[in-house]
This record gives sequence, structure tokens and C-alpha cells, in this order.
Amino acid sequence: MLRLSIRPFGISSALLLGGCTVQGAPSFSLVGAYFPDWMLCGMIGIAAAVSLRVVFVLTGVDAILSLRLFTYLSLGVITALLTWLLWFGP
Amino acid sequence: MKKVSLSTTSPIGLAIAAVCILGAIGLGVYVSRQDSAYPSSDSGSIDAEVVHMASTVGGRLIALPVHVNQAVKKGDLLYRLDPEPYELAVHQAEANLALAAAEVENQKRLLAVKTANAAVAEDQATRAQTNHDLAARTVERLKPLAGHAYIPWQQYDQARVALNDAAISLSQSHQQADAAQIAIGDLKSSLAAQQAAQAMLDQARYALRQTTVVAPTDGYVTSLRVKEGEILAPSQVLFTLIANDAWYASANIREITLPAITPGDCATVYSMIDRRTPLRGHVESIGWGVASLESAGLARGLPLVPREMDWVHVAQRFPVRIRLDPADPRLLRLGATATVEIRHGEACH
Repeated sequence: MLRLSIRPFGISSALLLGGCTVQGAPSFSLVGAYFPDWMLCGMIGIAAAVSLRVVFVLTGVDAILSLRLFTYLSLGVITALLTWLLWFGP
Repeated sequence: MKKVSLSTTSPIGLAIAAVCILGAIGLGVYVSRQDSAYPSSDSGSIDAEVVHMASTVGGRLIALPVHVNQAVKKGDLLYRLDPEPYELAVHQAEANLALAAAEVENQKRLLAVKTANAAVAEDQATRAQTNHDLAARTVERLKPLAGHAYIPWQQYDQARVALNDAAISLSQSHQQADAAQIAIGDLKSSLAAQQAAQAMLDQARYALRQTTVVAPTDGYVTSLRVKEGEILAPSQVLFTLIANDAWYASANIREITLPAITPGDCATVYSMIDRRTPLRGHVESIGWGVASLESAGLARGLPLVPREMDWVHVAQRFPVRIRLDPADPRLLRLGATATVEIRHGEACH
């Protein structure tokens, strides 16, 4: 029951994040320099992949996965791209 | 915690992996197409037209009512040069014009005198003709009388001499009449001199007007660093006026995404002065040319071709000019960083 309730949470996190659209330019200021939107999305993707790995290991979902490197890489990429599409996409 | 085996191969696991990988690839292709269809740039800049304020005449700066960073309206006085030398030049030109006008009057009088002289010479010629006719008739009359010796031969001889005299007088008077007619002349040279003096006066007045410089457009005074007393050479720039009537954003867009842009497209521009306020604009034009290192070289020289074997070529970017709709003036500063989204973004919904 716990596994079933947690699994969709990982995927919908990106949707939730996209939902709270932050108004403004697709460029972020950090200590006087501007960083592009895709860099932030990439960071989010990496963070998503790492946290999914942690969540899946803790919940045991990881055990039924195979080709784990590619799976987590793809999940990270999907999160990053969805974030970009929902947040900055046309 | 249970140790997770890395070598597990279950059909469910493979299916999940396949779905994730295909999903990532599909999404990647979709996103890259979206990115090409809706170009954006985060290296744009806010742009405006500038006027380098200078006067066509030189002189000492005597009045400077504007200060740096001040907003001015079209027609406002920006600065004034010492008008005295130009006023003196105007006075001189006025005097020259008066001289030329007086010369025209003089020439008119001379013309009247010469015309009268010519009339006199014409009358003289008529008189000489009458005298000559009389002398000729006298000779005609006396000729038969002298042949029959009714009159002394001497008398006939005198009449012939008188006729000869009259012929010479007639010829001379004709020449004099012609000369007098030619000598009348006309006013052309003095009128031309008057026109030249008038042109000089207009020029001097124009130069005098140029000592006052007014704003050619609404704008902001920038890079003004001098005060009254400065001496300016003709055409020397005193400061730069940033025109405030139209603002633009200039964004460099890669050539592969240029086909997606047409003039008139809506654009969302963010001035990084406030990255939360979208500015609406429209694509006005796309740059027709940029200089590239490959085409660098001296004019008329041989082409400069480096020896290289590049397999990856970075896409050329062209400046796209976006005209901004009227916006908060605090966000519009020439050279400010701008983020540009063409055909999408908050201002284009």
C-alpha cells in the first residue's frame, strides 16, 4: 500500500513544481551573474534522479528494476524536460 | 537494510527501463522541436537610438541649462555657444549687402546716362544724314550749272568737298551711335554681386542660429562632463542624447531558428533590471549581415584562409531587432541585459 502511494508521487512532483509557475525571465541571477533556465532544469533533473534512487531503495521498488543506470538517467532527463516544458515552455 | 543486487533482470524491470528510456528520448525530441519553433535568447540587450549632440559651428559654451541624466523634451534648449562672433559676421554681411545694393543703384544711374548718350548719338547720326543728303542734292544741282559755266567751277568744287565732309561725318556719327549703344551695357554684374552678398548674409544668419542647440527628440542627456566656458570646435560632440521615443531589444538568434521568426511576431522581453516584469514587443527586423572571422581581411587583399580541420561549427547568430511597446521608463536603459522570447512568453498570450 505504501509502495503504491509513493510511486506516482515521484512523477507528479515535476508536475506540481510546474504548476506553481514562477513569473519572470527564464534567467536567474546568482551573485551578480545570470544563469540560464536549462541549467536550473538540469539541476532539478539530477536532484530528482538522486532522490528517486533514495526513495526507491528505501521502498524496495529498486529491487524489481533492471538497467538501473539508464532508468534513473531517463527519469532524471524526463523530470528536467518536463520542468522546462511546464515552467518555461511555449 | 537488504542488499540490493545489481544483476537482477526481471521482465517488469526491463519494461520500466524501456518505457523510461523511450519516454526520455521522445520528450527530448519534442522539447528540441519546441525550442526551435519558439526561439529565445538570454543574451539580448535593451537598445535605443542616440544622437551625438554637436553644433556645426564652434565657439565658447556660454549656457548649459541641462545636466547629465536629465530627461529633455523635443525642442528644449540644450546649450548655447557665444553668438557674438556670428552676430558680427551677420553685421558684416548686412553691410556688404547694403554696399551691393548701393552699387546696383549706382549702375542704374550710369545706365540712364549711357542710354541718354546713345539717344544723343542716334540724333547726331540723323542730323549727319540730313546734312549729307543736302550736300548731295547741292552737288547734283550745281553739276549741270557748272558744266555750262553758269557758276564758277570753284563753287561746284566747294559743294563736292562739303559732300565728302558730310559723308565722313555721317560715317563717324554712325560709329559713335553704335559705340554708345554698346556702351549702355546692363545691371547683370551688379545684381549678381547683390545676390552673392544676400547669400553671404543668409549663411551668416544660419551660422548664428547654429549657436543655439535644441533637443531634436525626447531623450536623456548622457556622458555630459563639461561646464560653461568650454570651447568647442565645429561638429565637436558635447554629449550623447538617448532618444526616448522608441525603445528596442536586440537579441542574437541562431541562424537555424531564424526561419521561425517573421517581422511582426510578438515577443516577450524581460529587462533584467526587473526580471519579473514582462515587456511586450514585436519583431521589427532581422539583421542582414554580420562580420565573420572567416571573411576578415584587408579590402582588395587576398582572402585570409586559416589552415584548419574543424568538424564542429558553431551556429552563426544574427541580431533580431524588437520594437518595444511603451513601458515603465525605469526598466529601459540602453545596454541593459534582456531576455527575449519570440512568439511565446507572458506578454504574448
